Amino acid sequence: MDVLSLDIMVAALRLAMPIALVALGETFSERSGIINIGVEGTALAGALIGATVAFFSGSSVVGLCAALGVGMLLGLIHAVWCVYLRADHVVTGAAINLLVIGLALFLTRVVWGWRGTSAAVPTLNPWILVWGMVGLIVLAQVYLFRTPWGLRLRVVGEHPQAADTAGINVFRTRVAYSVLNGALCGLAGAFLVNNLGRFSVGMVGGRGFIGIAAMVVGNYRPIPAFLAAYLFGFVDALQMRLQDVIPSHFSIMLPYVLTVVVLAGFLGRAHVPAALGKPYIKDQG
Amino acid sequence: MNNRERSLSGEAVRLEGIVKRFSGVTANAGIDLSLNYGEVHGLLGENGAGKTVLMSVLYGLYRPTEGQIYLKDRPVAISSPAVAIRAGIGMVHQHFMLVPRLTVADNMVVGWETLWGPFLDRSRIRRRIGELSEQYGLEVDPSARVEELSVGEQQRVEIVKALYRGAEVLILDEPTATLPEQEVESFFATIRALRDEGKAVVFITHKLREALTICDRVTVLRKGEKVGTVPASQATESQLAEMMVGREVVFEVQRERVASEGQPLLRVEGLTAVDDRGVPAVQEVGFTVHDHEIVGVAGVQGNGQSELVEAICGLSRLRQGQVMVDGEDLSGAPPRKMAQAGLVHIPEDRHRRGLILDFSVGENSILGRQYESPFAIGQVGQSKRAIAGYARELVERFNIVVPGVRTPARALSGGNQQRVILARELDRKPKVIVAAQPTRGLDVAGIEFVWEQLLAMRREGAAILLVSMDLDELLTLADRLVVMYQGKLVGERKPGETDKQEIGLLMLGGAVETA
Ligand SMILES: Nc1ncnc2c1ncn2[C@@H]1O[C@H](COP(=O)(O)OP(=O)(O)OP(=O)(O)O)[C@@H](O)[C@H]1O
Ligand SMILES: [Mg+2]
Repeated sequence: MDVLSLDIMVAALRLAMPIALVALGETFSERSGIINIGVEGTALAGALIGATVAFFSGSSVVGLCAALGVGMLLGLIHAVWCVYLRADHVVTGAAINLLVIGLALFLTRVVWGWRGTSAAVPTLNPWILVWGMVGLIVLAQVYLFRTPWGLRLRVVGEHPQAADTAGINVFRTRVAYSVLNGALCGLAGAFLVNNLGRFSVGMVGGRGFIGIAAMVVGNYRPIPAFLAAYLFGFVDALQMRLQDVIPSHFSIMLPYVLTVVVLAGFLGRAHVPAALGKPYIKDQG
Repeated sequence: MNNRERSLSGEAVRLEGIVKRFSGVTANAGIDLSLNYGEVHGLLGENGAGKTVLMSVLYGLYRPTEGQIYLKDRPVAISSPAVAIRAGIGMVHQHFMLVPRLTVADNMVVGWETLWGPFLDRSRIRRRIGELSEQYGLEVDPSARVEELSVGEQQRVEIVKALYRGAEVLILDEPTATLPEQEVESFFATIRALRDEGKAVVFITHKLREALTICDRVTVLRKGEKVGTVPASQATESQLAEMMVGREVVFEVQRERVASEGQPLLRVEGLTAVDDRGVPAVQEVGFTVHDHEIVGVAGVQGNGQSELVEAICGLSRLRQGQVMVDGEDLSGAPPRKMAQAGLVHIPEDRHRRGLILDFSVGENSILGRQYESPFAIGQVGQSKRAIAGYARELVERFNIVVPGVRTPARALSGGNQQRVILARELDRKPKVIVAAQPTRGLDVAGIEFVWEQLLAMRREGAAILLVSMDLDELLTLADRLVVMYQGKLVGERKPGETDKQEIGLLMLGGAVETA
């Protein structure tokens, strides 16, 4: 069997894309100082709402837009809690994850009468999305390191007080990039639906968390994070082929085992933005 | 935006009746201040007098509760630093506002970028920085990372940063507090150049002599109120001190002779330590501090003093060598063990090592003893009442100006933050005190106070290692002086048998060891 064909490398790109989108979104968010572990749930929400809207409207594009919309909404909610109400980022993110699972179980039952899955929904040629995303990731790298907005973003996440005294609105910046993160996660969910042709509650299956891992391995840089995501996608694709060779119970574990192993090697080495997870308090008596 | 072209003369800024209240605390109580172009205006006052708050109001960081700001006679509302920057106001903060990981150039331009299309025009930015640094004699390397720079260099970066943004009113909040004496003169030359160019410079300092040297006019604040503005040419140090404190300050410490019993309380042998980057910073240093003795360590910043202190106190790993506290070998012991053996540390970086800024004054006052009774209840509990009671006692005894013991340390003025640390450490009745820059940023009364405290500890028998950039301080307090240069001790002197000049030379590595 030809395991390492070009075919599998291309297939891996498709499997990597949702992970890469989450990694990119989380890179922006954490660069501004906001941790969002709710990316898992946000991607699920994008998938759920994207599938539902696509199902009823009969248009995959309208579904995609709905996925973006719900992602942005969740990103906004997360930002408001973290930035203005100074809630703990991890707790808020975990709440989003739980909320969306509940919502998914409820909605699939109401709409399709089944628990946890949908009927088939209209899809789109995935390759338009895939190549669009590759372009987006290159752009993001340039944006982050070559433009004034990217510089401001980095300063906000490293030293919000310095940003403030340089005339940058820390609160608005954080909210904006949190919303962007939500949008990208929503898109990741829509992409998963597009790959499968339907919605299922387990479909994100940890890819949100793996996306965060890819961001760490990529040291908070879009292109390296994408490459890390691609590695995970590749192992995922490989795993599918290997199912004829080794028991699937084991092969299915591969991407997750890889995540743990790789992450253990990189965790200490990545530079975490200095103000990550800390609320910015502006004294105004 | 064309008002940037204005002629630089006459009144630049006028503050009228500025009041700033923070829930309960009045930091500024109706202050009038006028700044002219082409003048260096000194702003003096004790710790907590309201200098930083007043200037933060001008820079748009705080909204005044009452009062009006005029720029060139036009009333303005400065609602954010962005507005202030556009209006030509720049501020160099008491604690620098630089991102360590970014380059000097990126730090300077963020929020005020020079662009090429949508991109940062890094080559033009570098060129502009080069021009500014040449024009004002402020040497900076645009492509260096800020984390690699010394304090003096970072300060130059901050000034050029303000100038890059076109500042015509430049606020300098205690710029000389962290500057070694050797660099003060060239720093003054820069200020004079700025003034001669017509800029309005606000210079905040606690050093009266400096204020009289460089300023044209001096305004004194006391407890949030303005005491008055006087021309520097007609003022004297004692007059300014009296305006600040409201009473006459006798600036003389009683340094009575006390006999040492010759007990070596702190003994360091062959100590070698590396800095954050792993470069050897201290090499084979050894000395002894006895009971009833203050040993001063002089040296230009960055010659290994910080690393020496951290290695002694167990804050960084010891490469080699021994640290003995009262006869007990504590080489490489963790800080808690050190503290239990009777060694306390007054850290030079009070924000990083001395305080947890978001914790209350009360909690900060027991840091390091949080596990002791009566502050701890069992293994996990905390007695809020015991903590608050103890903190109140310290606040009282050490004259700390705070709204209350529940206030976060962040909201204290710089000098009062330092007092919290001092109170906490000295109250442990230490045998050995390692004090690094203990009077940095303190007002005259505060310095007097710290000096008295250190001398009192000496009288009671403590061994004190005093690391300071202030030669006057060292010569006043120390029984013996050692000089550090490039990680080594290059000389030992007795204060009575030397002078500032000789020490200054040794600090620059300019003399061979004769002792
Ligand atoms: N954000 C804040 N919240 C509450 N109180 C504050 C805040 N900032 C400052 N204060 C209080 O206002 C007063 C004036 O503080 P300010 O920092 O202006 O003093 P300062 O003159 O600069 O002193 P120093 O020389 O020690 O820096 C202090 O009593 C301080 O505790
Ligand atoms: Mg101040």
